[in-house]
Amino acid sequence: MDRGLLGMGSIGAQPAADTTALMGSAAGLTDAEVMLRVKAGDESAFEYLVQKYRRSMVGFMYRMSHNAAAAEDLAQEVFLRVYRSRSGYEASAKFTTWLYRIATNLAVNHARDTRNERPEKMASLDEPDQETGSTMDVADGSPTAEETILRRERMSAIRAKVQALPERQRVAVLMHKYQQMDYKQISEVLKLSESATKSLLFRAYETLREQLKEFL
Amino acid sequence: MKCDEIKELMLDAAIGGQGVPGMNEHLLDCPACAGKLQEMRKTMALLDEWQAPEPSPYFDTRLAARMREERAKPERKSWFSWVRMPVLAGALALVLMMAGGVNWFTRSRTSSEVAGKAGPPPVPVVGTAVGDLQTLDKNEDLYANFDLLDDLQVQPDVDADQETP
Repeated sequence: MDRGLLGMGSIGAQPAADTTALMGSAAGLTDAEVMLRVKAGDESAFEYLVQKYRRSMVGFMYRMSHNAAAAEDLAQEVFLRVYRSRSGYEASAKFTTWLYRIATNLAVNHARDTRNERPEKMASLDEPDQETGSTMDVADGSPTAEETILRRERMSAIRAKVQALPERQRVAVLMHKYQQMDYKQISEVLKLSESATKSLLFRAYETLREQLKEFL
Repeated sequence: MKCDEIKELMLDAAIGGQGVPGMNEHLLDCPACAGKLQEMRKTMALLDEWQAPEPSPYFDTRLAARMREERAKPERKSWFSWVRMPVLAGALALVLMMAGGVNWFTRSRTSSEVAGKAGPPPVPVVGTAVGDLQTLDKNEDLYANFDLLDDLQVQPDVDADQETP
């Protein structure tokens, strides 16, 4: 097997130092070129892509699924699917377009499957946040308990309002606002024209502006 | 610039994009659009507060385990993977062409038979349902004679039975 970019082991075996070296060796390559090396059997090239996109993928999946554990599972599944599909990969589109198309399909299917498993939650001081697992810190004075409650209410409202958007609007907003993707990239993932994507986003943000008015 | 035109540009303006000529002038003259843009900017800032957690320390470990399982699996071939094998694809194309040719030949022959009704009547194919029925129909007289022969054969037996003590 071609040990390629680094000549290293599999994912997780040698994390930090090797990854840094890997980033350096792949610096001149586009993601599509790196993916073509994965296709050719270069395992370290795949690790490079995982390390590059794991954070953004977990973030995207978290905002789609509203559940930290599910987000990690889904992000891992995205990378597994990328790996499984490596032999059929064609560098005809940007790698991120392909990656987010896989991620969007997975996330949307997960959201549909678990639609009835996620009741609306109220902010509570006594219970830990079921999405992040963190408990509300009210012991020290900064921020105050009231501020913390208000902040949690705001977070809850943002999550609920984004969640309530139509599917495509929701995906578009998450990619635009949190993944820093431009109109062209979003339009390619959603298979829409750029102007349709812009219009979709405008409608989504208009809805959010109206519905989050009390928090502005 | 009109309010409708500003609407299209508001999103870019709200996320810090450069305004187009005439936009600022309109915003100075139109408090409704200026207010909307201000709210849109605040909405963007509010949405920024929604932070996602970092991947857990176990993310890489779990992914590594799943990757090991994946590598251990035999490589799955897609339904259409054979299309990429030129020999198989060529053979299949040849079979399909031959099947198409036979089908075309059979159809053309049948249609020519239908067209040539003036010729001799078609010979029924023995062994087919239609052929058997036609044969039965033709041999009606023969079977009538068999029935007569059966009657003749039964009569002596009946007579013999009656003679038995």
